[in-house]
Order: sequence, then structure tokens, then C-alpha cells
Amino acid sequence: MKGDLVLSKAHLSYWLRQLRKEADLIAPLRSMAGDIVFSSVENIHDIVADCPANLPSPKEFLFPQMDEMYRFSPKGVERPAKNQKRVIFGIRSCDMSAVGLMDTFYGGRYEDDFYVERRKNTFFISIACNRPDPSCFCIGLGTGPFLKEGFDIQLTDLGDRYMVQVGSTKGRQIIKGFDHIFRRPKKADYDDQYEANLSCQSKFEKRITLENVRQKILAGEVPDSFWEGVASRCFQCGGCVYQCPVCTCFNVVDWKETAEKGVRMRTWDACMFKGFTKMAGNVWPAEKVATRTKRWYSHKLLHWPEQSGKFGCVGCGRCGVTCPGKIDMATVATRLEKKD
Amino acid sequence: MAGLASAFGSGAMTNSVSEIADARVIFVVGSNTTEQHPMIAMHMIEAVDRGATLIVADPRKTQIAAFAHTHLSQRSGTDVALLNGIMNVIIGEGLVDINFVRRRTENFDEFEKVVKKCTPEVAEKITGVAASDIRRVARIYATEKRSMLFYSMGITQHVTGVDNVRSCANLVMLTAHIGQPMTGLNPLRGQNNVQGACDMGALPDVYSGYQKVANVKARKKFESAWRRKLPSTPGMTMIDMFDSAREGRLKAMYIMGENPVMSDPDTSHVVEAIKKLDFLVVQDIFMSETSELADVILPAVTFAEKDGTFTNTERRVQKVRRVIRPMYGAMPDWKIISELSKKMGYDMGYRAAHEIMEEAALLTPAYGGILHHRLETFGLQWPCPDADHPGTPFMHRKKFAKGLGTFNPIEFTPPDETTDTAYPLILTTGRLRFRYHTATMCKRTATLEREEPECFVEINPKDAEKIGVRSGNPVKAVSRRGEIVVKALVTDITPEGIVFIPFHFRAAAVNLITSPAVDPVAKIPEFKVCAVKLVPVIPKPGERPKNHYNRKEDLKILNELYEEPEIPS
Repeated sequence: MKGDLVLSKAHLSYWLRQLRKEADLIAPLRSMAGDIVFSSVENIHDIVADCPANLPSPKEFLFPQMDEMYRFSPKGVERPAKNQKRVIFGIRSCDMSAVGLMDTFYGGRYEDDFYVERRKNTFFISIACNRPDPSCFCIGLGTGPFLKEGFDIQLTDLGDRYMVQVGSTKGRQIIKGFDHIFRRPKKADYDDQYEANLSCQSKFEKRITLENVRQKILAGEVPDSFWEGVASRCFQCGGCVYQCPVCTCFNVVDWKETAEKGVRMRTWDACMFKGFTKMAGNVWPAEKVATRTKRWYSHKLLHWPEQSGKFGCVGCGRCGVTCPGKIDMATVATRLEKKD
Repeated sequence: MAGLASAFGSGAMTNSVSEIADARVIFVVGSNTTEQHPMIAMHMIEAVDRGATLIVADPRKTQIAAFAHTHLSQRSGTDVALLNGIMNVIIGEGLVDINFVRRRTENFDEFEKVVKKCTPEVAEKITGVAASDIRRVARIYATEKRSMLFYSMGITQHVTGVDNVRSCANLVMLTAHIGQPMTGLNPLRGQNNVQGACDMGALPDVYSGYQKVANVKARKKFESAWRRKLPSTPGMTMIDMFDSAREGRLKAMYIMGENPVMSDPDTSHVVEAIKKLDFLVVQDIFMSETSELADVILPAVTFAEKDGTFTNTERRVQKVRRVIRPMYGAMPDWKIISELSKKMGYDMGYRAAHEIMEEAALLTPAYGGILHHRLETFGLQWPCPDADHPGTPFMHRKKFAKGLGTFNPIEFTPPDETTDTAYPLILTTGRLRFRYHTATMCKRTATLEREEPECFVEINPKDAEKIGVRSGNPVKAVSRRGEIVVKALVTDITPEGIVFIPFHFRAAAVNLITSPAVDPVAKIPEFKVCAVKLVPVIPKPGERPKNHYNRKEDLKILNELYEEPEIPS
């Protein structure tokens, strides 16, 4: 494609170091206990570019778990700035697609100032995935393992070098001025890229087509008793929602720090909790667990496609890793697909 | 604890959590596992997915009970009869592992005589569980090799708590479901470090590792290590302490991380006892109902501000690391204690948590090889006697900790309080998923608070009809000791004749009405059975029911929540 570039792996740390001068660099790092977490990079060589899937999704950099909206004191109300420039390196294609979905929610018909301001100042360098986990199923959704659109910069690992694709004007901004480390790709590079993409597609253990599931639900073939069965295994921990890179629920709380000043903040919330839809007069519209699990799945499988033409799931498989009752998207979808 | 110790010689989960998924039969007695031990329940669900049979004995139809293949809904406080009935079938049908009983246990004949009397039909009369169900469960549990037995507060919080545990121990010895992987008797401990606290001797009659205070040899060892004369008689249990305080024999008390005003039965008596004390010190991370009555409050630190170890329910000692500096001048617990001790004239001289662990390893045989540098990744499961020992995933492999396992013949005794015409319902108390204990911590989290904002009483639809209440109506729960007003929640989770009230709520503290009767050995209070009657409080139009919603009280609580500790300059 026109505009594609090649970056030698030896030059990656130089490039990232230059980018870090302008912005906070966030990348996957290995924690002491061996988990992969995205956080601010101290030492470029700590970055685990070819990492297995990570558990907390990188949505927290756009939509933090606890976000100060306003601070209030007798002097008045102030709004903390959210304009910290960030470069997020090494996120997977599924998470990049999830950011696209979040954009349609928070930046679409209703603009969420806090999200939009952060999003404007965040640049993504995603990596075409060549190491799907057993829980991954993005291949059935078109949200991975590599992307054709909806990224800023996409890297494809070609062994000793990366294929660099630029997908947006923001992407162009972060390669500007680095002509001396990038070169134009040759035919061999394209061949290698093709091979890398092909090989990773063959590595998926799960092949799930959510469209089949959607058709089944729309045709009324899924009775409520199925959702009751799902609910009987639900621990109501909210883990699926907290880990989901697409889930956007939040709650707003005021916290008084002293008698005079305080903070209004928003925190992640989960529709899996019965209090989420509690109304005045002690009305609990979704008191039964089955109603809530069904709603979560309906939102992702029916309402998202209706509103934006895309499923509210990117197949990252995080709910599958975190769910103690094994009623995650992949398991439920597989059961529904097989059900007749 | 006492029950297990008398049967096996050691009180803890005998097997490991990771074995659960491979078990073939899982028998859960008196545990609301999905809500209270979700990580254990996760493995149970996995085991069921792999084809295991799940049996739950619980009066209430909790989530795990509804999920189970067989749910035995025994009447509250009749666990001994149920277990005796099961063992009767096992003996009667020849399902006993005679080899094991002969080689590794003692006192079987005495025990057999008692169990012989409790046929399934007798047990049915007492427990309300069908004799056919008892027979079926006995056969399933006994015939499968990989059967795990779990229990929790549902059978220990009774006057017969120790008896209940001993009955469970009898059952596992009878079928030889012990000393092998995927078997065993597994008490589920509720808090992250309650096992560790017991292991380290936070009990009145033992030093660390359950070495008896009365044992001269053990005492001499500790005396030489600590260079002080130590008392030879056991101390008082918590219940005894409050009794003595009420009688004026106990003058001062030092409470660490506990909130007995909310968590102990018969609240008014506890408060009365505390008020009689000359001096009360409370050490906690947040203000609680108890610390309000204290003369001195020592601020402690949270888990993130201290180094040390936690021992979980499967005896695994795990390291906890400090990630932030202690805030507002608070100190880790060990530091508070050693500073106090220094002021009192005994310098413990510890400089860090690992030095204390070293001493614990030196003096505690089961912890002999457990040192901080060995706990970096996944920790170690005690018994771990020396520095090369890899830890013990399942206990009592070749012999029990005390040598031979002892069968304790146990006859069924009814609970302390029985129902009568004046108090026709059994009240059982328990916990909710979204609340932790007396809510000193979780009430500060908006989302958790929103989930269960109010206390309620679960009533079976049939009882509700008799009394004349509907969901949401306030009712008065009256026992022989007091009364509280709560909202009715009509549900078939709770069977007929039993009502359930969670104990977390300050505004409707159920422990105002619970029974103060305790187990004679373990001194654990009978939270699970108390006779009550429910009286509907029907408010006149436009009038709020008394006590039901008290705005003043709520505002007081709110103000406390938002109170910021003063930062020392």
C-alpha cells in the first residue's frame, strides 16, 4: 500500500525514545509476578513487544477506572486537565478495534468531553498480532489479528524488522521527522507481511461467528431458560464488564475530602450489578441475575449491530480468562451456536 | 478448630484448592460458597463441568444449592442428625473402608453404637430431609474415591458447632476420604488471614502452631526464646472476656481489627460489658462501632502499607508486600505491638517482618521451613518442617497429626432455643455477597453500598401469607432478647419455618436479638439458630414506621463516612 514503511528492529528503541520526549510512553511491561500490564515506561528495554495477552485492557488510559471530573472548593469549581500527551505502544489489534468502538460511543452522537480530550492526545502504535492466546477469537469478528483500517500506526513483525502502516493523520504526526530510520518497503517485505498474516490466522483455537448467534437470538430460538442457566453460574463479580475493552458504564460519585472541598469523580460501573438500574421508590428493574446477563449479551450481540453495524465485542477473550463461572462470551456463543 | 483437632490433631483444610476441579464428588455442608468463597466455588463449578456430582446441605436454597445436583434442606441446627443418618447408611450397607478404619483410627465401636440408632428414618423426622435422599447421598459420597467434603460457618456457628465438625471428621474417616489428593475435610475460612492468625497462636490455649500452653515442653521452649516466665493456664475466650468484663473482673481490653459490638451475639450485653471496662484500646484501619467506645484508638495500616504474610484457607503462606508508605503516621501492627512492649519494659527488638517470621519458623514445627525468601512466587503450604521441604498439598498422608484418628460418638442434641407458639420461626443469620462483615470497610464504597443498601428479612411465601406481609413491608423481628424492624423480602430461597437476616447492618443490627448461647468447647456463639416471631408493622398512611428509616441516624453515618482523618503536621 502507498505510504507503507519498514523499520529495522534495531531502530525501534531509538524511535520510541524520541517519542517519549514529547509524550508519556505507555507499553506492555512484565510485572514482578509475571503478568503483562500496560504502564508508563521507565526503561525502553523492559518493553515486551511480543507479549501474550494482557489482562487489564488498555481502556483505562482513555476511560480510567477512577476519573476526577471536577474539584470543588469555596473558590469555585475547577476541571482537572486531561491533556497529557500519550503514546501507547504495543496494543493488539482487538484493543485497537475496541478503541474505535469506544469512539462511536463516547465521541459519536453525544460527545463526552473527558473522553474526547484524552482521545485527542493519545496516539496508538498497534501490533498485528502473531501470538493469539487460546482464549482469543477476534478472527471471527474481523477485529484482528491485523487491521485494515482504524489504527494510527500498525506494526507487523517480520523477524528482524517491522512493516509500518500508517492509518490516520495522527499516525502521520508521529512518524514525521523520522525519515532517516524508515525506508520504503520492497517486494520481499510485502511477501513476508503476507506470510506473517497468514500464519497467525492459522493459530486460532476458537472459531466463533457471532452473526450466527445473533440470527439465532433474533429468530427467538434462545428461551429465557437458557439465560437462567447462565445466571445460575454467575458470581456477580462484574469482572466481564471491568475487563471488557468495549464496556463503557460508569457511575458518578462525590467525595468530600474535607468539610469544604471535594471531588466529583466517575468510576467504572457494571450493568451486572442489580443496583445499576435502581430507581427511586425502591424499584429494581433488573433484580433477577438472568435479566442482567441476558441484557449484557443482548447489548453486545443485538443493540450494537443495530446502532453501529458492529458487534459490541472484539474477541479479545478477556471475559473468558476472568469469569469464574465460565459464562464468558466465547463459551456462551459456542453453546448457542451448537444449540438447535 | 477444636473439633478437627480432637479428631485429627490439626485444624485446617486438609487438601488444596487446586485439587477441587479434579474431584468426583463435592459435598458442601453449611457454606454459601458462591457468595462467600467465590474462588473455591469457581473450582467446584469447573469440577461439575468435568462430571463431578455436587451435593449441598443447607437449609436455604443458596445459589450453590440451586446449582447442585442434590440439595438437602435440613432444619437449622440438625446437622448432626443428618450426618449420623448418612453414616448409618454407610455402615448398614457395608460401604465403610474397613482397612482404613482398622489401621488408622480408634474408638470405632463406641461410635458405631451411637450411629446405629440414627437410621435415615429417624434422621428424616429430625432434619426434614427425605430418608431416600439421605440414602442416595450416602451411597454417592462413599462409593466414589475422590470425594471432598467442605464446611463453613453454617455448621460451626451452633451450640453443637464442635459436634458438627467432629461428625464431619467421622464421615471422612469412615470412608477413608482423607490423606489422599481430591479428598479430605475442608473448612473454608472466611478472611484472608484467619488461618494465619490461628496458626500464629491467636487463640487462648495455644502458642503458634497449636502447641498447647498447658504442655510443659512447649512452654519451656517459648520461655527460653522469650526470656520470660509464661503462664501455664489458658487465657479467656472472647465470650468469657465479655462476661468477666460485665462482672467487673476484667478491667482493660485491647481489640485489634475486630468490631465485636456488631459481630457478637446479643449486642446490648457486649456494649454493657465494654462500658464497664476501665480502659479500652482499639486498633483498626477505620472507625467502627467498637472504636467509638474506646479510650485510645491506634491507627493501623492497610494491606498495601505493610510487609508480612497471609495464610489462606488451604494453609498456603503467601507474602504481602508494601507498595505505598504508611499514611498519616499509622504503623504496621507488628510495630505497634513491639513499640508498646518496649514502653512496658520488654524490648522485642524486631526491625522488620522477616525477622518475626524467622522466629516463628524457629519455634513452630509446622512453619519450620517457611521463611520470607522462599515465598516469592506462590508461597508454601504448611506443614513445611525444614528449609528444603516443598510444602504439603494434602495432610495426614500416612498417619494423622496425632497418630490415630479418633471417632467421636456424637448424639444429636437440639439447638439451644427451640420454636414454640410464642416464637414460631427459626431465625438464622448470615452474610451477603456485597457486604463484608460489619461493613467497616465496604460501606465506604459507593457501588457496594448501592447493591444492598438496607437490611431485610427473607421469608418464605407461605410464612409471609400467614403473617400477612408482602415484599418491602416493614416487619418487626422479635426474639426473647429484643426486637428489630426490617424490611420483608418474600422469597423461596428460605424454606418454610425459617427466616434469614444478614448481620451486616448497623441500622438493624440482628445481633440485638440473636442468642448468646455458645458451644461449650469452642465458645463459638449460636448465630444460626434463634427462635423469633415476626410482627408486621403496618404504617398508617403518611406516617413512617418507627426505627425503620431514621434520617438523623443516616446523616450521622454519612458524616462519619466523609470525615477525613486529620493529617498530623
